[in-house]
Amino acid sequence: MSTVEAPLYPIAVLIDELKNDDIQLRLNSIRRLSTIARALGEERTRSELIPFLSENNDDDDEVLLAMAEELGVFIPYVGGVEHAHVLLTPLETLCTVEETCVRDKAVESLCKIGSQMRGNDLIEWFTPLVKRLAAGEWFTARVSACGLFHIAYPSAPETLKTELRSIYGQLCQDDMPMVRRSAASNLWKFAGTVESAHLKADIMQMFEDLTQDDQDTVRLLAVEGCAALGKLLEPQDCAARILPVIVNFSQDKSWRVRYMVANQLYELCEAVGPEPIRTDLLPAYVRLLRDNEAEVRIAAAGKVTKFCQILSPELAIQHILPCVKELSLDSSQHVRAALASVVMGMAPVLGKDATIEQLLPIFLSLLKDEFPDVRLNIISKLDQVNQVIGIDLLSQSLLPAIVELAEDRHWRVRLAIIEYIPLLANQLGVGFFDDKLGGLCMQWLQDKVYSIRDAAANNLKRLAEEFGPDWAMQHIIPQVLEIANDSHYLHRMTLLRAISLLGPVLGSEITCSKLLPVVVNASKDRVPNIKFNVAKVLQSLISVVDQSVVEKTIRPCLVELSEDPDVDVRYFAVQGLQSIDQVTMSS
Amino acid sequence: MSDLDRQIEQLKKCEPLKESEVKALCLKAMEILVEESNVQRVDAPVTICGDIHGQFYDMKELFKVGGDCPKTNYLFLGDFVDRGFYSVETFLLLLALKVRYPDRITLIRGNHESRQITQVYGFYDECLRKYGSVNVWRYCTEIFDYLSLSALIENKIFSVHGGLSPAISTLDQIRTIDRKQEVPHDGAMCDLLWSDPEDIVDGWGLSPRGAGFLFGGSVVTSFNHTNNIDYICRAHQLVMEGYKWMFNNQIVTVWSAPNYCYRCGNVAAILELDENLNKQFRVFDAAPQESRGTPAKKPAPDYFL
Repeated sequence: MSTVEAPLYPIAVLIDELKNDDIQLRLNSIRRLSTIARALGEERTRSELIPFLSENNDDDDEVLLAMAEELGVFIPYVGGVEHAHVLLTPLETLCTVEETCVRDKAVESLCKIGSQMRGNDLIEWFTPLVKRLAAGEWFTARVSACGLFHIAYPSAPETLKTELRSIYGQLCQDDMPMVRRSAASNLWKFAGTVESAHLKADIMQMFEDLTQDDQDTVRLLAVEGCAALGKLLEPQDCAARILPVIVNFSQDKSWRVRYMVANQLYELCEAVGPEPIRTDLLPAYVRLLRDNEAEVRIAAAGKVTKFCQILSPELAIQHILPCVKELSLDSSQHVRAALASVVMGMAPVLGKDATIEQLLPIFLSLLKDEFPDVRLNIISKLDQVNQVIGIDLLSQSLLPAIVELAEDRHWRVRLAIIEYIPLLANQLGVGFFDDKLGGLCMQWLQDKVYSIRDAAANNLKRLAEEFGPDWAMQHIIPQVLEIANDSHYLHRMTLLRAISLLGPVLGSEITCSKLLPVVVNASKDRVPNIKFNVAKVLQSLISVVDQSVVEKTIRPCLVELSEDPDVDVRYFAVQGLQSIDQVTMSS
Repeated sequence: MSDLDRQIEQLKKCEPLKESEVKALCLKAMEILVEESNVQRVDAPVTICGDIHGQFYDMKELFKVGGDCPKTNYLFLGDFVDRGFYSVETFLLLLALKVRYPDRITLIRGNHESRQITQVYGFYDECLRKYGSVNVWRYCTEIFDYLSLSALIENKIFSVHGGLSPAISTLDQIRTIDRKQEVPHDGAMCDLLWSDPEDIVDGWGLSPRGAGFLFGGSVVTSFNHTNNIDYICRAHQLVMEGYKWMFNNQIVTVWSAPNYCYRCGNVAAILELDENLNKQFRVFDAAPQESRGTPAKKPAPDYFL
């Protein structure tokens, strides 16, 4: 990186490149704007560089975007906050360009700068800019203006505040829907800075106007902000002013608006308190769960657990549960998948009895769903149910379904099951585990998909950790070691992987007596891949066994492999020998 | 960890190398590839893969199903680049693996490993977009000229990207081709990379692709008999089920780009041969959405600084 002391020549080049025809060079130069500024010094940056950038009518959006971003952090280079206002001019121009992402970035940078500026400077420089943009002839300026009010408002004197509120009110009724959209999506930010009395009067009036807009995209954005707006109001005001709007929106003729309500409803509940939830929001939510449009049901179904958490269990069972049953049989697989991703969380909310009677059948039906994502979503949350229904019931009711999925034709479903096994083992305990699941764990070691074989080897390690070496010696090791005779090299490879994982868990004695002989034997395999993996496994076992075993067994084997005709075998054997030498030297 | 091992780790995350690193990697690859035969000998066990076409995350899915290189040995039948979003990362990862483990992975040339084709189907534009210059495209296309044209597994399975040529009846005739050139518009080298087997053709037919030929069952029978091979394994054509046998199991098409062009809805396959040449097709789907990165619109600045 160049510093202040860097020679001036490259700076001249960078400045020159700001005007270059090649867009890459201009971009390059804009990204190094701070370097140029540092080299010029604060004074010349203010008097030359910033005016140059203000007049620079670059027509490439990518360059403009980079410029909008750089200027946002430029205060130190123009001499600190007291000079921050010089940055407003180029950003004001960028606020009016055609490309949305450039404008958004310019607004973001203006907010960054404005929030650091002193009160008087804001009144003198920033607020006039907001007013100019709001009165802009072209809609792009007015769109940008909406996002700046919350910065200008707090430090403005009383009369100016009244004026700003009235200007924002006009923007909410602008002829152009783009402007109204921006006013709607920025309203809650502005509202957060407005005094409580005006909030209830002016802002709520604007909100109500926007919610009755004839464009659904405007109404949509009004809904999006209503939870945030609601949190600014007293609960009773929120219930009186926002709630009716939301209930109304939940029956809007545009599904996109209803979709947004489904997404926002839960947050709004937090703002209004318990009573209105029961009387108004719950019926609205139930309507959304039964909406005609799948998109709306997806959004609503995804919130079902969170919603139940703020209801009493009785209300959840009475009103939500029947909908959940319907949704579990929904014709859209995406609705069922959304439900499956959260429905397990309902178990702790509903308690043991309701879970067993009502939820369990739903889980089972989703576990057998024809769409793999649905099955996968249920499996990955199974642990949430264990605590609620207890292990006996779990093993009776869910285990058969789980065992069935262990052979699912989608390997990611099988993978999810394997990853759940150590937890299940922990809950079921040794006795139950052996007869039911042991066989599956072996079967996965020879799965046709590599990731499953790899996860299966890892699973054995975790089982050995859970149940201890004695158990492993009895139930895992004999079957695993038999794979040494498998005719497929990739299966023998899995055996090596399993040994490298099990060795450290089972300890020196078992490793020397049972595992090591198998590994040494595999060093004579005809497939080079097996041989260099033998070298890797031997290397990993150095730290597990005694020094004498290393010298007596591991080293000679590696020495032999280091003379193999295959280059990879030699490479990994030499690596292994080097780590023996390192261990010997350090001990 | 060596530079090369670090580069492989970086490429596995779908992060492209610096231009200078690509140049160095290509130089090393050239030294290895120049030694290979036009009919490169490959030992079993090996897993055979068809077209990838820059679908990086689907190739990662392939490795999740087939196993990582070097644990599993691989033979890729060409068409690494074009059409997908990540031709650069896809080809460089395969090439880096080739340089690191020359005996564990074999890459042969497809019809898309060509200067002309890559300028039309995306690889050229991708290099320009990601590096701001075409140097990387130049380095890669120079390497394309060094890729072998075919492979012979344990003297029993002949592998090639496209198919057969009326100018070729024996493997020795392939061995005499001077392959270090851009793919020609016609002739034996062109045909190996462009031809397709076709049921309704008896003998040789004109190819609708404008290069190579269509060939029928009798051609395959006589080629396999003359060269004493069990069957031909090739890629080059999308098959919805991932693989497809033809002509009484004398030739098989393997296709390894699931949901080709991100919209065809096909599954993909690889052919796993164990040390006794036992065959297992492993069929797989496209990588799930959440495991894919979004294509970066803009290059990181240090590529062109």
